[in-house]
Amino acid sequence: MDWIGQHWLDWAALFLIAAGVWWLMPRARARPKAVGVLLALAGTGMLATRVDDLSAPLQETALFWLFAAAAIIGAVLMITNRNPVYSALWFAVVTLNVCGLFLLQYAPFLAAATVVVYAGAIVVTFVFVIMLAQQSGATAYDQRARQPLVATIACFALLAAVVGTLQYVAEPHRGSDDVAGSLRDSDVPQTLGAGSGEPRTTDSETLRISAVSPRLGETRLEVGSNPFSQLEDGAKREEMGRMHALGRSLFGDYLFAVELAGTLLLIATIGAIAIAPRRRGGTL
Amino acid sequence: MTGDLERYLVVGAILFVLGAVGFFTRRNLIVLMLCAEMMLHGVSLTLVAFSRSHGNLEGQAFTIFILTVATCEAGLALAIILALYQKTNSLDVELWTELREADLPPPTLAEDAGLPAFVPPESQVFPTLTPAGVLPDVRRARASGGVDDAASPTADSPLEPPQAEDVIRTAVR
Repeated sequence: MDWIGQHWLDWAALFLIAAGVWWLMPRARARPKAVGVLLALAGTGMLATRVDDLSAPLQETALFWLFAAAAIIGAVLMITNRNPVYSALWFAVVTLNVCGLFLLQYAPFLAAATVVVYAGAIVVTFVFVIMLAQQSGATAYDQRARQPLVATIACFALLAAVVGTLQYVAEPHRGSDDVAGSLRDSDVPQTLGAGSGEPRTTDSETLRISAVSPRLGETRLEVGSNPFSQLEDGAKREEMGRMHALGRSLFGDYLFAVELAGTLLLIATIGAIAIAPRRRGGTL
Repeated sequence: MTGDLERYLVVGAILFVLGAVGFFTRRNLIVLMLCAEMMLHGVSLTLVAFSRSHGNLEGQAFTIFILTVATCEAGLALAIILALYQKTNSLDVELWTELREADLPPPTLAEDAGLPAFVPPESQVFPTLTPAGVLPDVRRARASGGVDDAASPTADSPLEPPQAEDVIRTAVR
């Protein structure tokens, strides 16, 4: 209970975003839109003061919150807009901002690929289908949400659980030394396996290492399922931003999966052509 | 909860949950698909953040596969949505509640709850083209225009003259 009381600001922030989403949901009598947007913005700003990393450089923090706030507000407007064309356009905004976050995380190739695939191809296809299927203007089923209150409460309870777990794990007094000490003191090896103490201890240590989220350049994982994608310590930050490391990982370790993905694309193309309805003459 | 990893995880979780809210509440099939794609965005962001935090590239490789699967999903889903639209002339997902399990009660539709019927306001009625002039007589033009029968569309083709006139009439209307 004490722990819940310490973090009431986080729950208040999530509650504000949820209230904004619920306020904006399409219903019979329209509400003023600015109130919902302001509620969601206030919640995001409150969350920013709680989650913010004070040790990070200022430019990165500013860019992060610019992209994150734009993505969240775009997402709220996307799921609540009454016009599906506007929803598709807001989805493109969300995609571009997520690509900005990818860039901040040293994934420039992913950012470019996501822009090309999502904003360039998927959104255009969606808009085409909307224009093909919805030629008669506003429709009744876009004006009424289905159980908006229950859905909002359920989904934001899930979000509160996720954020609460994240805080519980990442709290400062539960740092790596603390967890390591508690793991070492407790008799995990004795309860798990009788007799063989030493290998069990290393097992639990690797478990601890992977649970404590090592920073870049701080700890190096001894166990990697993937020799190609493990980078050297010194060049990590520079390597992560380049494409050739990703390409080596993709076409080295995941070569079989890449071939499988290509086959999946081929089968999906054939399936889409087979499913797509056609008129008597064979045209779409 | 301060950390470079955690804030990305929080934003990814928020995107995922907002997509889930939209998926549960909206009734337009296309908006449902968009919400599912946004849930995938949240997962991608989480994977990329983990990738940087662990200092390896497995998360980024997973994200590329997510991208591939999302593309396949979008293509197939839009084909299915078009097929469903041609059966009902509507994108409403509640028209397909007949597909539920046999022992489940019918869901309460929004129209049954005593709400007034929706009338589109004047600002949301799309403009239509005005009919322009007399329809061209395609058959006469074809008979006199010297189009040889071998190269002309066969009976199965959608562009044979009567159907072409229908197409033009529909477009004009």
